[in-house]
Amino acid sequence: MKHPLLPLSETMHYILLALREPLHGYAVMQKIEEMSEGSVVLAAGTLYGAIENLNKHGWIEPVGKSGRRKIYGITAEGLNVLKVEQERLLHILSLYKGSDSDEKV
Amino acid sequence: MKRFKVFFDIEKEERWLNEQLQQGYRCTAISGLGIYTFEKTDQRYVMRLDYQGRLNKGEFDDYKAMYEDFGWEYLSGPALSGIRYWQKEAAEGRDVIFSDRQSKGSYYKRLMNYSLWLGMLCLFYSLMLYQDSNLYHEGLWSMEGALFWKAFLFETPFVLLKLLPALMAVLLGISYYQAYRKYSLFKV
Repeated sequence: MKHPLLPLSETMHYILLALREPLHGYAVMQKIEEMSEGSVVLAAGTLYGAIENLNKHGWIEPVGKSGRRKIYGITAEGLNVLKVEQERLLHILSLYKGSDSDEKV
Repeated sequence: MKRFKVFFDIEKEERWLNEQLQQGYRCTAISGLGIYTFEKTDQRYVMRLDYQGRLNKGEFDDYKAMYEDFGWEYLSGPALSGIRYWQKEAAEGRDVIFSDRQSKGSYYKRLMNYSLWLGMLCLFYSLMLYQDSNLYHEGLWSMEGALFWKAFLFETPFVLLKLLPALMAVLLGISYYQAYRKYSLFKV
């Protein structure tokens, strides 16, 4: 059976991409807002739940603390998930290109 | 300002609280007996109710730290209810605690589990309670006329009290179903 978190939701996808650089929760939200050009603004409960979930599956892990905030970073397994997702999305993108050229003809 | 109110539905409670805040108040305390304390304010505040099952100390600290970073202030509610009360100054586009379908769905799933377990507990307790005792005393039914009615009226409040766990079980069953209907709208 497929992994329950796959294919990645937009939230999970952005969090994994953001955590290629270790960050604490609130900084993850800020980085994602920037990465998505303001279109994805995560709320506190959503980010909390997603981080718990990704941590539980071993795709991210706590790597330190800054005050009372936990800092998380992506794991090797998490990077692997991103690679698989990238291939899946590239394939879908290639299908878009296919239909584009058809239209031009 | 103090208000007394008892809720059985977390979403109704949230709606009611926000109605109070819209009239220029902020909430300062919530007691287990259904007493909500408010104070006047010039700022606009918003409240969100979350339900999280039991969190250990470490989990709770992480949970609280995350919400506080987003500007939410924690209001401790009734210890056993599991409802977490969050309040902050209103800000356009930042007034929710769940921003995607999955997390909203998981919230309803947690509510379902809560109603299910508490409902089962009430049901189990009711069965134990009613198994070895009748609702009214046996002797009541052989009484006649005014005496019967007096005894009947006297006993009825106690009977209602005895029926409370069964009533709770029914209400929790209903809230389980309501949470399930919401959950099925959000699950992917």
